[in-house]
Amino acid sequence: MRGKLHINGEWHSFHADPATPLHRVLREQIGLTGAKDVCGEGFCGACLVEVEGEPVAACLLPVALAECTQIVTIEGLYHDPVGRRVMAALEAEDAVQCGMCFPGMVMTLTHLLKTDPTTDREKVKHALVGNICRCTGYERIVSTACRAAKAMAEADVREETA
Amino acid sequence: MIPAEALEQQTDFHHPVTVQEAVRLLAKLGTNAIVFAGGTWLMRAPAPSRHYVSLGRVAALRQLVITPETVRIGAAVTHDKLAAELQGLPGLEGLAVAAKRAANPAIRRRATVGGNLCTKEFPAADLVPALLAAEAMVKVVTPEGQANQSLLAYLDWRREAAAQNHLLVSVEVPQRAGRLLAHARLTLRRAGDYPVALISLSARPDAKNQLADVVVAVGAVEDQARRWPGLEQRLTGATADKAFAVKMAQELVADFRGREGPEVPDWYRLHVLPELLGRAMAQLQERLANGGRAA
Ligand SMILES: Cc1cc2nc3c(=O)[nH]c(=O)nc-3n(C[C@H](O)[C@H](O)[C@H](O)COP(=O)(O)OP(=O)(O)OC[C@H]3O[C@@H](n4cnc5c(N)ncnc54)[C@H](O)[C@@H]3O)c2cc1C
Ligand code: FES
Ligand code: FES
Repeated sequence: MRGKLHINGEWHSFHADPATPLHRVLREQIGLTGAKDVCGEGFCGACLVEVEGEPVAACLLPVALAECTQIVTIEGLYHDPVGRRVMAALEAEDAVQCGMCFPGMVMTLTHLLKTDPTTDREKVKHALVGNICRCTGYERIVSTACRAAKAMAEADVREETA
Repeated sequence: MIPAEALEQQTDFHHPVTVQEAVRLLAKLGTNAIVFAGGTWLMRAPAPSRHYVSLGRVAALRQLVITPETVRIGAAVTHDKLAAELQGLPGLEGLAVAAKRAANPAIRRRATVGGNLCTKEFPAADLVPALLAAEAMVKVVTPEGQANQSLLAYLDWRREAAAQNHLLVSVEVPQRAGRLLAHARLTLRRAGDYPVALISLSARPDAKNQLADVVVAVGAVEDQARRWPGLEQRLTGATADKAFAVKMAQELVADFRGREGPEVPDWYRLHVLPELLGRAMAQLQERLANGGRAA
């Protein structure tokens, strides 16, 4: 099939079998390689993209069902203030090692900060259940998420009292 | 029916907007058609030359209606939505736990209740034992008509030739006064991987505070989830007590044949079953002590 995808605010054309997983079209036809092709089975979270505002595993989403949706990839999240804050916090904490899992981690943590900002480590861990990291041992990532949530809450208070 | 040769070599997504349209399409496309709900199972190995009948636009299948007597769950309700809607319903906490702890957040956003119940190749579906213990009924539609049946009967029926191209429309869960439901799951990591064993337990306290209407359902241990009648008998009339429950389960565990799997050997599933039942009973005990709610 030939079709169009709305990604990071722009339209892109593709030509693929309708059941092709979205991440492959992003990587192989549109040149957006931030979403990684790792397990292909929904386990690792390396391929997460936002569809209609929610992170989903792009490896399990057929491209035919991604037409007519709003897609944001990790490349687009750089223009999102919360996404940028998460990326900066991870960098400042030196939490990134090989970086394979990080696009997915940022997707999950950005969504968490937007929907349920928390400094509760258990809650952060539950949110990260579908993001597998082979390098870091997770603890720094969890700390970063809690710190970013705290910083965001403090910024909100400052804005309100200004 | 469209001739099979004409359908070969095509992958196509069809987008019905009503249940009737979906059933008509399934009948017309015959053995080439497959229902596509959240896709979290199907996309792991997408088959070429398929006609996928996507349920995404059938609004009726996404409805969840709660009345004092029942909870009716549309087949395309996601795990996420189910967990959110059941929050605060004291009798069905175990079902909420099954929906909230299965898989991982990205999967729960798309995986549907229908997909969980209809995947006959998947023995470790969390919602199956939870809904068995809740004594749920399911509504299915085939080209021949519609039928309501117990989930227990459906689990066998879905394997029959007559079930080819059926559409599971909804699940109806009774809400019975005083009845509580607990769900305990064991994964090798703390979460995120397929469960090694699952137990759901439902019961109510009678006038003497002894357990009545006990239902125990076990998932992931054998190829298909099922009830544990011997244990149900032993627990009926007993008080809610973890140690007693574990002892009874140890005595009866040979009622099951463990399933050999890549993650654990057959004996391991049986080995953990009594303790898992103990955990479910502890949840029930806690809720009974707390007037029916989790602490
Ligand atoms: C990483 C990962 C971890 C997982 N962990 C767990 C877990 O811990 N616990 C658990 O329970 N499950 C787990 N699963 C399985 C997951 O729950 C199932 O994949 C999901 O429930 C299937 O639902 P779906 O809507 O995605 O189904 P689909 O993939 O769309 O369909 C699955 C099957 O059901 C059929 N089907 C779907 N809906 C209907 C319907 N209404 N009528 C008739 N047939 C229908 C389809 O034709 C297909 O055969 C996991 C899956 C993944 C990918
Ligand atoms: S590649 Fe999609 S979850 Fe692993
Ligand atoms: S930093 Fe290497 S996989 Fe996470």
